[in-house]
Amino acid sequence: MNRSAPRSIDQYLKALRQELAGEDAALIQDALYDAEEYLRAEVAAHPDKSEADVLELIASTYGAPDEVASAYRDTEAKVKAAMTTPRKVPKSGAGAFFGVFLDPRAYTSLFFMLLSLATGIIYFTLTVTGLSLSAGLAVLIIGLPFFLVFVALTRVVSLAEGRLIEAMTGERMPRRPVHQSQAGFWSRVGQMLKDRRTWTTLAYLILMLPLGVVYFVIAVVGLSVSLAFIFAPLVDWAGRYGWFDQAGDLHLNPAWLGALWAAPLLVLAGVVLLTLLMHLARGIGRLHAMYAKALLVAPAAPPAAQ
Amino acid sequence: MDDSNGRKFQKDLNGGLVGLVLLAILNQSAEDLYGYEIAKRLASANEGTSIFKEGTIYPVLRALSAANLLTSRIVPSYSGPPRRYYRITDQGRSVLTEWTAIWAGTRSFVDRFIDKGHSP
Repeated sequence: MNRSAPRSIDQYLKALRQELAGEDAALIQDALYDAEEYLRAEVAAHPDKSEADVLELIASTYGAPDEVASAYRDTEAKVKAAMTTPRKVPKSGAGAFFGVFLDPRAYTSLFFMLLSLATGIIYFTLTVTGLSLSAGLAVLIIGLPFFLVFVALTRVVSLAEGRLIEAMTGERMPRRPVHQSQAGFWSRVGQMLKDRRTWTTLAYLILMLPLGVVYFVIAVVGLSVSLAFIFAPLVDWAGRYGWFDQAGDLHLNPAWLGALWAAPLLVLAGVVLLTLLMHLARGIGRLHAMYAKALLVAPAAPPAAQ
Repeated sequence: MDDSNGRKFQKDLNGGLVGLVLLAILNQSAEDLYGYEIAKRLASANEGTSIFKEGTIYPVLRALSAANLLTSRIVPSYSGPPRRYYRITDQGRSVLTEWTAIWAGTRSFVDRFIDKGHSP
């Protein structure tokens, strides 16, 4: 408690970051963003006082870094408890295997896999265009500004992708942009270039295309194969009894698959395949969320700078 | 020792009350408010005694927003990062009515015990 009180906004934010060390990286990013909004507004509201004078009173108004940190920790725990509705998911045997159909995350992950081809193409195009134009324009005076705007754009895209991933997989991702220290323009440019996250974000956006292709193929192949198994007997009979014409083109090979006794086996195989696909989708969703967090969100440890 | 006991009690009490007060402030306000403005309204009502630390309202605003009791929009600002403006939703209003009734009931219940034996 007797540590020297922060004397500037940057010192306060640094102290808050230290108090939150070990918390979720996304929570830290949000807390720093909120604190900065308040502190800058407070300094702007007292133009007659210096930043240090305003900061002196901060502990009694906004709260000392440790108080604010504990408020975020408590609220996060409560929100997490309130947002996760307790689900009755059987823990063993067939119940656990088929219980995946009750898990909304499995459906949203599957949807994410289908969507990731589209987002992957967009991210890839954006990043490759931005990088090659930056390289091409580097000899001209607009080269550097163009590159900076491009990097700023990738941060916005990264935040949006984070929101999408949190919606799809439930992994906590940042809800606010990352905090930028208000140092001079050139030192901010330098920080941005030194920031590991700038480059891992670019890597993520480029890698999203191959990953998106793989996810999309897994989802489409998995869905079509398992649904084909499930509906094959129906389509076969429909063709045989002339319910509709196109079904005549369906050939079940070997022929005994068309027998009446084989129908339940085909449907069962389809259901098992579909269930496996749902498990796979949920697993990929979790892995992708961890991977995205590692590349898109700054590590929770305080930066080595300063 | 006394001080920290008092602080802990105040903190425990505030757990739900901050949300109630924030909903009430946003319900009374004609226009959308951002975090700092709300904090300043609280501070002016505080008059010296610090019941709420202003820093504690931001995570609660975010939680209320996540529960669809508030909506928010982002507006760029000259003095710092973009501001997030909050507005109460219809669901928020009905929750506020419910919470207000609970608070009134709780207060009169507590007062019934405190006003007796303790009056000077």
